[in-house]
Amino acid sequence: MEALRVEGLSKDFGGVHALSDVSFSVERGERLAIIGPNGAGKTTLFNLINGQMLPTSGKVFFWGQDITHMHAYSRAHLGQARSFQLISLYLNLSVLDNTLITLHGIKRSRFQMLRPTTAYTDLLAKAREILSPIDLWERRDELVRNLSYGEQRRLEIALTVALEPKLLLLDEPSGGLTSAESSEITDSICKLGRDITVLLVAHDMDLVFGIADRIMVLHYGKVVANGTPEEIRADPRVKEIYMGIEENAGNTTAT
Amino acid sequence: MTTTKIREALRQPRQLILFAPYLAGILVLVILPAVSPAYVLGTWTKFVIFALFALGYDLIYGHTGLLSLGHAAYFGAGGYTVAALMLHYNMDSLWVGLPLGILIAALVATIFGFMALRVSGMYFLLVTFALGELLYSVTWNWKWLSTPGMQGISGLPRPDLGIPGFTWNTLSFYYFVLVVFLICFFLVHRIMYSPFGHALRGIRENESRTQSWGYNTWLYKYTAFIITGAFAGVAGVLFVYYNRFISPTHVGVATSFLPMIMVIIGGSGTLLGPIIGAFVIVFVEYFASLFTPERWPLILGAIFVAAIMYARGGINIHLSRLWQRLINRYGSTKG
Repeated sequence: MEALRVEGLSKDFGGVHALSDVSFSVERGERLAIIGPNGAGKTTLFNLINGQMLPTSGKVFFWGQDITHMHAYSRAHLGQARSFQLISLYLNLSVLDNTLITLHGIKRSRFQMLRPTTAYTDLLAKAREILSPIDLWERRDELVRNLSYGEQRRLEIALTVALEPKLLLLDEPSGGLTSAESSEITDSICKLGRDITVLLVAHDMDLVFGIADRIMVLHYGKVVANGTPEEIRADPRVKEIYMGIEENAGNTTAT
Repeated sequence: MTTTKIREALRQPRQLILFAPYLAGILVLVILPAVSPAYVLGTWTKFVIFALFALGYDLIYGHTGLLSLGHAAYFGAGGYTVAALMLHYNMDSLWVGLPLGILIAALVATIFGFMALRVSGMYFLLVTFALGELLYSVTWNWKWLSTPGMQGISGLPRPDLGIPGFTWNTLSFYYFVLVVFLICFFLVHRIMYSPFGHALRGIRENESRTQSWGYNTWLYKYTAFIITGAFAGVAGVLFVYYNRFISPTHVGVATSFLPMIMVIIGGSGTLLGPIIGAFVIVFVEYFASLFTPERWPLILGAIFVAAIMYARGGINIHLSRLWQRLINRYGSTKG
């Protein structure tokens, strides 16, 4: 069963082709990592899949349904959850408020105007379940801006995962973390059930090779390679992009 | 170990302490006007009306993060509705005037909000401003909305409560305004702590994230806009009952500025901030007009600049910091 299929997706910003004719599909439960140098179009691709932007051309299918022009909030209700590259938590709200806003988002109670959020004891219990393992339950009234960077990242990932999405979009989940914190994130993603499909954008190769079933390489908005980690590791074009070796500049000793 | 125990023990009284400012505020609002001289009572009434206006306005500004400069339009729509009812239909019943005033204000907000929310940021401010001025020129030019021979509607009576034998005096009118205010305060309080209110603050902090979490953020902003329009309508209706006169100035930008300045001075995104701001503005205006009426805009400007330079975040933040320090001292002497 295909969780996600992208067909001929292109996005232009003015004259710049951020993405051109990108096509791929992701099976249910698969972990696909998308790598590529800065400016390759990885985050743009995420924005198109999650609905922050509309494509210039091409289509996006989610579980067989055409979602190309669907609003971002409707995609959340279909089961997409996304973490952002830069921390996008609500810095001026408390840890608990951040958690409760996340949990109400896909519930009907999100429209409730006269009942306090804290009156939803089931969601409060759920918040405790999310925050306790990352040691933030005791500090739930703290403003998020007062947490350390690592704690903010952990909270962001925990909240994204907590929605039990069908498709998880992780944009640089370990960006700016120490290697110990990063491997903690890797572990928590590895522990996810196989009913969750994961799409991952990362520069951290330990994370990518630790998680991915398949890796797709983007370069200047085009898919350069798409295959298993072994294939990608052996691919000469990928080496070229990452090592910066030009084809006709063969005088550099390749090691 | 011991500190957590103490903290547990203090939790209950602590909550009482946290509730104390509200209780004190209500007591002040109930008792102080009753014992203050009759000529100040009108100023208390005006303060409560504008506190209500600012409180409603803060839902869209402080909570949702949208800077609107046209809220006098909804204030005026509510006010002109009851004024026109009295002028043309001799209808001075509160039970018709207030609901109709709120309805018309909300209706105007529904139309204006739909247009203004197509854009964001500074453009939102400009569109709300332009729409407000549009309504201003309507009230200026439409003869139906004026007592013959003047601009505005004057000579209006107090509302009829439908209670036989009841007559208004300044104090009973003040308490009537206070009751309406407390009902609105309660509603704003509920909205503020509801999932809806949380979503509004989520939109203020990061709209695209809130959207990706499943919230139709446009609908939230639109709903919040209509709600603030309705609150502005309530304030407008009360203002006409209080002032017995409404003119195009009450629909124009000078009036739109007031809730904005009150919220900024008092502290946005809080419950007490708008009330404190309204208190400062209304009472300083009262005392200023006793001595130098013509210098009031200058004084208002000076207060605004001083608040932005020396009390950023609003007076409320500084008061609550002081309060927090007092609580901490109280807590530590117990430990």
